[in-house]
Amino acid sequence: MKPLAWLRPPAYRTQLWLLLLPYLLGTIVLVGVPALFTVGMAFTEFNGVARPQWSGLTNFQRLWASPVIRLSLRNSLIFILAAVPIRLLAALSLALLLQRRERLFGYYRAAIYLPTIIPEAAYALIWLWIFNPFYGPLNMVLAALGLPTSDWLGNANSAIMAIVLMACFQIGEGFIVLIAGLQNIPRALYEAATVDGASPWQAFWRITLPLLFPWLLLLTVRDIVMSLQNSFAPTYILTYGGPYYATTFVPLLVYEIAFDLFDFGLAAAVMVVTYLILGWLIVGLVNAVGGWRRDSEF
Amino acid sequence: MKYQLPRLARHLLAGGASLLFLLPVYWMFVSALRAPGLPPPRTVEWWPADPHWGNYATLFTLLPMGRYLRNSLLVVAAATPLTLLTASWAGFALSQLPQPARGRLINLSVAFLLIPASAVWLFRFQLLRWFGLLDTLWGLIIPAIAASSPLFVLLYFWSFRRVPGELIEAARLDGAEVGQLWWRVAMPLVRPTTIAVAILTFVLYWSDFISPVLYIYRARWYTLPVGLQLIRQLDSTNWPLLLAAAALMTTPILLLFFVLQRTFLSNQSLSNLFDRS
Repeated sequence: MKPLAWLRPPAYRTQLWLLLLPYLLGTIVLVGVPALFTVGMAFTEFNGVARPQWSGLTNFQRLWASPVIRLSLRNSLIFILAAVPIRLLAALSLALLLQRRERLFGYYRAAIYLPTIIPEAAYALIWLWIFNPFYGPLNMVLAALGLPTSDWLGNANSAIMAIVLMACFQIGEGFIVLIAGLQNIPRALYEAATVDGASPWQAFWRITLPLLFPWLLLLTVRDIVMSLQNSFAPTYILTYGGPYYATTFVPLLVYEIAFDLFDFGLAAAVMVVTYLILGWLIVGLVNAVGGWRRDSEF
Repeated sequence: MKYQLPRLARHLLAGGASLLFLLPVYWMFVSALRAPGLPPPRTVEWWPADPHWGNYATLFTLLPMGRYLRNSLLVVAAATPLTLLTASWAGFALSQLPQPARGRLINLSVAFLLIPASAVWLFRFQLLRWFGLLDTLWGLIIPAIAASSPLFVLLYFWSFRRVPGELIEAARLDGAEVGQLWWRVAMPLVRPTTIAVAILTFVLYWSDFISPVLYIYRARWYTLPVGLQLIRQLDSTNWPLLLAAAALMTTPILLLFFVLQRTFLSNQSLSNLFDRS
């Protein structure tokens, strides 16, 4: 069909563009334009109703002067640096363990995926119960095992870890992607390695990991961006940023600044700075591991 | 893979991990059955001595849960078919367009996919206000016109690309219009993708917590996730009730997965997960 494409009458081409129209136009209006205008909004004073007034870098100066905003940036970074590696490692270990085509393994995979499809609000309520310091199942299990219990959401140090723990059970997406990646690796490579007398450990480091590398990098980048945003519902419902701002992450604070204080300009500036930091983190990471094309040695 | 743990160790590890991941959901359903007013359990309760199903009914008397449920159903009932329509249109058009237009549009879609939702909150609020869609269910449904997510368009594109080109070429020579090609020839061949996109869209809109929090103010148009948040504020120590609300919201999604899982099996991209063999 491809070589004949130029023979097609233009009418068919026009019809195809009409089919594309709702998606293209809708996405540009609802995603592309808002993303660009948010950047512009960061340089204005805008209360959401009156005409935005150009204010130059004022919002960025206010941002830097505000201890709460700086704290929320720091908290978000800590959250990302803790959650993303654990989530990725968990998804990878589970994918390696459960990739087999064997009896019962379909059920195991479905079980791992299950927490990922629970609605955010319901998921937050479940963990509110699990983390309850007096009656929550988590502390009871810990006590029964003779392990130290904790205040979880009541304590500034453990609250952030509790949010990280919650995030580590919703790893279904990365898990499926990595299983698909593992099943794409040609079996012949492992057979050749066995013939050459390679140990399982060597095969993992020399075959599995390099071939899985692009998938892992892609997931890491995506997880860095998504983790931040996915922290909104848990922090809104479980802690509302507390105790003592310990779980005040950027999305919750931006929500407060824009929709409670009607300071859309400052909120936009916080978003812009956050995504600049994340972009810098991602570029640094990609450079540190040698770029996207490391798999090309195969 | 050639290298493996002994069979028993494999199943113990895999089974243990599965149980760990099932635990939060199990605790939700079990704790939702505890009679209200009883003191909370002193040890982990694996099954309530006297299961109390009345918590689910209490939910509907305490808050207008029926209305929130109706609003949530309205949103998914409008958004899911709309998404299937626009995503499959766009995916089909992409698969038919020649290069380089196709490649450019796919790159654009991937770029859109990387823009996080939180980066567009602030301006989308203004857009909805200008369109007069703020504080209406349409404000929640409107992303469906744009296929909800570029991911769904790409899923359709990948599926349509596997449809043999001669099939479409032949139908075109018989004088079929683009709409007929899409509906009569292409769509029947990608049914598993349609089901997968339908489930993913349903979950997306059913679970959406941020949009109603940002864009809905009148209690009339609250959806279930907001209802859950209200119950937590209203009666934050009534655990059985809170968990019954969570279970109420989770059950439709679980049912959907169990019912449609068999169809999932025939989808290449998703079958890995639910494969029984």
